[in-house]
Amino acid sequence: MSWRHSVFLASRELRRRAGRAVLTVLAVALAAALLTALLTIALTAKTKVLDELAKGGPLSGVKVAAARPDPSQAAVDNAQPGAAAILDQAAIDQIGELPFVRSVVPVGVVGVTVIADHPKRDGTPLAPFVDRLVGVDITSVPSLPVTVLSGRLPAPGSTTEVTVDEGFLQRLGFDRATAGEVVGSQVDLATDRPVRIGDQLQYVQRWTTAEIVGVVAQDAGSGQVLADSALLDPARQWIAGQIRGDGIGPQDVDPLAASPFGAAFVVADSIDHVGAVRVEVAALGYSTSAPENIIASVDRYLRVVEIVLTSVGVIALAVAAIGISNAALASVRERRREIGVLKAVGATDRDIRRIFLVESGALGLIGGVIGVMLGYLTAVAVAVVVNRYLIEQGFGAVPVQVPVVTMIAVTIGATLLAVVAGTLPAAKAARLPAREAMGSL
Amino acid sequence: MTGGVTIAVRHVTHSYRVHDGALVVLDDVSLDVAAGSFVSIMGPSGSGKSTLLALIGGLEPQQRGELVVGGHSLGDLSRDELAAYRRTTVGFVFQHFGLLDTLTAAENVAVARLLAGDSRAEARRRALALLDRVGLTDRSSHRPQQLSGGERQRVAIARALANEPRVVLADEPTGNLDEENGARVVGLLQEISAEDHCTVVAVTHDLRVAESAAQRYVLSAGRLGAVPA
Repeated sequence: MSWRHSVFLASRELRRRAGRAVLTVLAVALAAALLTALLTIALTAKTKVLDELAKGGPLSGVKVAAARPDPSQAAVDNAQPGAAAILDQAAIDQIGELPFVRSVVPVGVVGVTVIADHPKRDGTPLAPFVDRLVGVDITSVPSLPVTVLSGRLPAPGSTTEVTVDEGFLQRLGFDRATAGEVVGSQVDLATDRPVRIGDQLQYVQRWTTAEIVGVVAQDAGSGQVLADSALLDPARQWIAGQIRGDGIGPQDVDPLAASPFGAAFVVADSIDHVGAVRVEVAALGYSTSAPENIIASVDRYLRVVEIVLTSVGVIALAVAAIGISNAALASVRERRREIGVLKAVGATDRDIRRIFLVESGALGLIGGVIGVMLGYLTAVAVAVVVNRYLIEQGFGAVPVQVPVVTMIAVTIGATLLAVVAGTLPAAKAARLPAREAMGSL
Repeated sequence: MTGGVTIAVRHVTHSYRVHDGALVVLDDVSLDVAAGSFVSIMGPSGSGKSTLLALIGGLEPQQRGELVVGGHSLGDLSRDELAAYRRTTVGFVFQHFGLLDTLTAAENVAVARLLAGDSRAEARRRALALLDRVGLTDRSSHRPQQLSGGERQRVAIARALANEPRVVLADEPTGNLDEENGARVVGLLQEISAEDHCTVVAVTHDLRVAESAAQRYVLSAGRLGAVPA
């Protein structure tokens, strides 16, 4: 008898005992739903936690500073940089050619004086303050630890748009939840250029006005204002261009502006190669930092949580499998004569075994499919509640991951477990003597 | 039909284990059935009639003696070979009909063909032809619960013929039928023997069945005796 014919006979039998089949499917579905929901929530939580640690950037990101490395801090996540070093395009190209490096994004940084036109939350004006302007190619933001909290990023190539970070918000007395109120206001940014007047070193300022188009959390470079490099580069060149033979030397210029790039963000091809990339970059003479150790630790803890949650779900599935086994054994007891009749008309032990295994497998498959859908919907429902809380706390919402691999694995697992659960009843059915067809002789 | 085969039962003894020892139901039974003949075996309940039928049909493993059906020495066959023997050589008709409640009449007949490897379409085609032969064309899509006792037994006979057996074994074929339906079933068994030249062995309490057979035997207390014609 072919598999198709076995499926045909099994489906007819399941329909006859529809009530029992529905209850068995329900047990499998609930177990599969529990497992799917737990794994979906665990996966989403893990993604969110690691994303927070990486500040929205790639987990395998490495920050390179325009500074010499401190050998004693080579393996420290937040290594303190040594003396300033020149990080130019040649160095960027060298880093880009290192093994395990997927991409390198240069980051420009200059010191600026900032004047915000938006008053503080209490209505008083914010005093001018000195901070840093970070400039990146905005189109490369997907490779950088930059997360938009409110508004948007500056347009690529824009010289009149900037974003600010949470440090800037705190100066004004705002937080993530009220970040939107700052969007649309303006800032004036001044860069200092040294000039020698007589024996005195004086500074003239170059002013730029820009609109705050968004609020971001970013770790691409140290500075509260982020803009496209099109806004930063002229300012840096304006300062650095002054280093000539008129008595103005590099010592008189903002060291950040002296280096073409203040930092670079390197993405390793995997989190396992972050350490190797840091060693190689340090060998080129630059200080690096990366949250590799904390990510690895958190990842280990989350893995333990995943294992515990998976175990809970698997136990539930195992209980459901016992239910399948029990139902199948009852079915064998009730169908002794029917099994005998099938054997009387020529069914082999294998044919009978196959019919029972198909019945068990079908219950597992149907229960698994329904279960993973229920589980995913449960995870989405949980996410709605969690996101409401996160938003109240000023955090971003967590998009629920669609755990395709988990869903497929749970469905296959439920089916296989059901088949295994049906093995003993199927074997019992197969070994029943053909004389059962005649009842008691 | 490809014609019947001979059945040779030689010194067969069979017993069942009971709580206080062994119950001998067949005691040194010997029987020769010619190919294409119609044989009836009568006897009181518990005399071993159904056991003898089960042994000839390969439903019950043989204990002592020799059973040869159409050249198959049943004692030498493995479980799979016995299944193949039942599938290709024997057709069964049971007192309780033995129809699967989940299948229609046509599907009940076709299932024997499916087990033989036919496609569903081919199996259905042959099943409908057999239902037509037993006069149940219009009942092909009905389930057993929707059929009368006589109709169920005719479906069972159609199923028994599905694989063109060489031997048809009938266990109390009229036991659950009224007189009219019983007569119809007896007629079908005679037809199978006479027209298909199939060897038919029927165990029965029903005198009509017994008297319609060419050879008649009585089984009593495990011993078989011929009834003079």
